[in-house]
Amino acid sequence: MTRALLRTIVGRKGSFLGTAGVTFAAVVVVAVVLVVVHSLRPGRNPSIGGQPMLDGVAGAVWLLGGVGAIVIGALAGSYDVAQGTMRYLVLTGVHRIGMYAARTTALVTAVLLALGPALLLGVLLVFVLPRGPEAGVKPSELGDVLWTCVLWPTVFAVIAMGIGSLLRSNGAAVAIALFFAFAAAPLLGLVSAASKTLGDLMLLPALDRVTGGDDGAPIPAAAAAVVGWVALFWAAGAVRIRRDEY
Amino acid sequence: MSAAEPIIRLTGVTKRFGRTVAVDDVTIDVPRGRCLGWLGPNGSGKTTLIRCMLGLARPTSGTIHVRGREVPRDVRAALAGVGAIVEEPRFYPYLSGRRNLEVAAGFVGGGAFARIDGALARVDLTRSAALAVKKYSLGMRQRLGVARCLLSDPELLILDEPSNGLDPAGMAEFRRMIRSFVELDGRTVFVSSHLLDEVEKIADDIAIVQSGALVAHGTVADLLAGGAATVRLRVDDPGRAAGVLGGLGFVTGIEARERRTLDVSLERVDDESAIALTRALVEAGVGVAEVVRRAESLEERFLEITGAPLVEPEERRA
Repeated sequence: MTRALLRTIVGRKGSFLGTAGVTFAAVVVVAVVLVVVHSLRPGRNPSIGGQPMLDGVAGAVWLLGGVGAIVIGALAGSYDVAQGTMRYLVLTGVHRIGMYAARTTALVTAVLLALGPALLLGVLLVFVLPRGPEAGVKPSELGDVLWTCVLWPTVFAVIAMGIGSLLRSNGAAVAIALFFAFAAAPLLGLVSAASKTLGDLMLLPALDRVTGGDDGAPIPAAAAAVVGWVALFWAAGAVRIRRDEY
Repeated sequence: MSAAEPIIRLTGVTKRFGRTVAVDDVTIDVPRGRCLGWLGPNGSGKTTLIRCMLGLARPTSGTIHVRGREVPRDVRAALAGVGAIVEEPRFYPYLSGRRNLEVAAGFVGGGAFARIDGALARVDLTRSAALAVKKYSLGMRQRLGVARCLLSDPELLILDEPSNGLDPAGMAEFRRMIRSFVELDGRTVFVSSHLLDEVEKIADDIAIVQSGALVAHGTVADLLAGGAATVRLRVDDPGRAAGVLGGLGFVTGIEARERRTLDVSLERVDDESAIALTRALVEAGVGVAEVVRRAESLEERFLEITGAPLVEPEERRA
């Protein structure tokens, strides 16, 4: 069932191949820009690979991959109901929540598949392109970047899937999921003005903390907060899936 | 579960949407190995009842048993041997026909993957299997929907308005396919439609619904036999003939028509009634030029039962 659902998510070429292609292209653009900058002023920019490349890859995949993952996730949640195929999945007699869980696994797999080529290319370029000793990359730094580039898009993809399942409309799901990620979630950070402890448990500070941020709640608490936020949206979608008539 | 046990048993099934009653206290047993036509005008609750039977919607009251299992309580076991098309078959348009069936097979499990080729061949889509569904015609999508139904090797097929949008050739092909499921495979087919002619051609039994309520149920022959039976007479003296016929116990009505013609309603139209009627007229000196038995068509019978045309006025205009 997970494989079948993965096929439906990956088959939506606009969102899946679009995300894979845009993030891959972004990494190529980062490399080209670094090459150009290096060739213009090699003394000031001695390295192309190493740390500069890693920073560029992190920014490109984190942002563009995140947007793409949100679109993939929102559609994963809404598409079957909007298209009318949900009825035929339910008709097979599978447990609805089991199907929803399988869809989550398929979504996470799809996000990793979409971001994988860009991340692989980025890591390759970090080590292959010329770099000076000042631009060395420690394994822990590389690990942090990869973890950040995987976790942020994945978390927002699953949240978007919950939103999509709740709304059942493709356009609305994508719009609301993007709004949540780029407007509502940052605004929630304002809670810290009233309570630093509570503010640290909002989604963005907590995510930042578990992906290497120095400031904030203890890591276990931050991790629990991230899980809680994801679970909140996931459960909202699950309730809708379980209760709806098709 | 015994073969004699009905494959579908509905007992007092009602489904309300607010104050609107979509399905009204429907009770019926659907026997195995036959094709039941669920006939009613648009908006008569046909699809709602099917959705309830398939666990896609919950009945407000009443009980539903499919394959001996209660729905929705035991819906998973009930649907394990059911294939269905509800309203219209929907697919992932960006995937090919075969890929769509593979997705469905991933959910159905069991031997579903192994049945894909056979199902495609059965609906004559083998050559188009690699084509994206968005390029399929409506008829091809309907057939692909049937192929998807076959993946679970169902003993019961529930098809909601399966010939909607098909051209005459497509409808004929669909009829042949449905009959083959009953006659060759021994499957049960529950087919809903507002197309009386279609249902008459494919169904063994017919249930007529109106405003959500079941108003008649039986074989086609039974339904027709229950209808008004008339004999059309052409005589030389209609007035005198009406007087003679009015004295016969088995005559239930007489309607004068143009050209010395009478429509005579009888309790039943059989040889004995026709002979008795003719003899009475001849013995009374009425010349009989023509006697024609008129059996009611299913459409006339439908009108008689429901008091309403099967096709809504707007549809007629369309």
